[in-house]
Amino acid sequence: MSPYMLIILIFTLGLGTLITLSSSHWLIAWMGLELNTFAILPLMAQQHSPRAMEATIKYFIIQTTAATMLLFASVSNAWLSGQWEIQQMSHPTPLALITIALALKLGLAPMHAWFPEVLQGLNFSTGLILSTWQKLAPFSLLLQIPPTSSFLLITLGFISVLMGGWGGLNQTQLRKILGYSSIAHLGWMILIMQYAPPLTLLALTVYIVLTSSMFLTFLYNQATNINSLAISWTKTPMLTALTPLVLLSLGGLPPLTGFLPKWAILQELTKQGLTPVAALTALSALLSLYFYLRLSYATALTTPPNNLPATLPWRIIFKQPTTFLAVLITMSLSLLPLSPSVMAFFTF
Amino acid sequence: MKYLLFLLLFLLILGVVGVASNPSPGFAALSLVMVAGSGCSLLAGQGGYFLALILFLIYLGGMLVVFAYSVAFTGSDYVEGWGTRRISLAAAGYLLLVWGGGVILNTNLNEEFWTVGVSFGEFMSLEYSLVGVAHLYMGGGWLLVAGAWALLLVLLAVLELVRGASRGAVRVV
Repeated sequence: MSPYMLIILIFTLGLGTLITLSSSHWLIAWMGLELNTFAILPLMAQQHSPRAMEATIKYFIIQTTAATMLLFASVSNAWLSGQWEIQQMSHPTPLALITIALALKLGLAPMHAWFPEVLQGLNFSTGLILSTWQKLAPFSLLLQIPPTSSFLLITLGFISVLMGGWGGLNQTQLRKILGYSSIAHLGWMILIMQYAPPLTLLALTVYIVLTSSMFLTFLYNQATNINSLAISWTKTPMLTALTPLVLLSLGGLPPLTGFLPKWAILQELTKQGLTPVAALTALSALLSLYFYLRLSYATALTTPPNNLPATLPWRIIFKQPTTFLAVLITMSLSLLPLSPSVMAFFTF
Repeated sequence: MKYLLFLLLFLLILGVVGVASNPSPGFAALSLVMVAGSGCSLLAGQGGYFLALILFLIYLGGMLVVFAYSVAFTGSDYVEGWGTRRISLAAAGYLLLVWGGGVILNTNLNEEFWTVGVSFGEFMSLEYSLVGVAHLYMGGGWLLVAGAWALLLVLLAVLELVRGASRGAVRVV
């Protein structure tokens, strides 16, 4: 792609999110979301394969449907209450519709079916943008709207955790696995949103760090399915040693960073008197943990049946800089002892 | 005036029925023109002249024309319209539905007076859309720039997506 085009698209991605994050008017927020949608479409279609084009078209249709629902709900709210403020929505129907529209934008269950397929059609770097950056703007809107139906948010959250875990069990393609893991983590974030919004931000940030580590690891190893992952130990021994730990952090095991948001969320849910929800969600997270374990098993705990010459790769010096990946992996493994300061960072 | 309003409303409903009942996109687009024409005349008659003008220019003169050109690529040999029995029955069914809805709702056209104007500040008895556009250009500031950037971006994104030959996505290499 021409570098001028790339600069314009990446700039607009940043501009769109910034506009939505800093807006108090629904039309401006919608404009930012639309900017994000349109700016990422050529990036998704970069590979020019039929699968990439199909992923682009699916993404476009889903995102514009969600944006239209958002526009409809905000116009209905303007009609009913006479003003366009995001934080002053008063009528329950537009509120519920906006929550569902933003859930469709994010890929929460039961509106999650598009997400793994769209991720499968993209290369790892575009998939990374889709999984991390594109979540920021809808979350900023979800955090700002007044409290809506408690049942809706808990249902969205719990079903996302369940479907994220359940759907990922049968996958061998790594991008689909990362898609289902994204759905599950978003479910955790939505679950706690109405009780402690700082914990949502904490979960979102930890998730972004963790999933960026995984995307960059797979990008570095050029591994797209479990079989390719299994033979990647020959290319990057150091990374192979750390990948299982990052995966277990994604699964939420102590003493790694991924445990922190789950711990805080379960504690807050119990304090709010929602112990059965907390227990069921924790049990559903076991499903995700199973396929994370399967990936770490394939990465570092088994040696694929190969003859000796096939296991020795060319001695090619990898030219990709790994500084950022190193920082991300360090953060995803060792932030748990810093829990108090990490949580203070998000409490406002 | 009553008769003009009745005629325009009748053409509106007839056009909507035409859009709903025609499987051929060409005929449906033609019905859409009828809908837009009568709807805009209604709107203009009640004070919403700016909105009607913009709708004609952009919707009919821009989007519908492009749609019609794209549809012309998919031309089929045996086009069915209101002449065939199946489609004319469907259209009659839709008209019956509208008539039934009217009977149920039972609105009286004589009693309603509606307008699309507003007066506040320095804008006296002008239309909402006109006032809004004036505000966008007057005090819009960076929002206007952001809006223009959004339009430019959509153009560039579409150009990038439909670029042909080996650099684009339309033809698979």
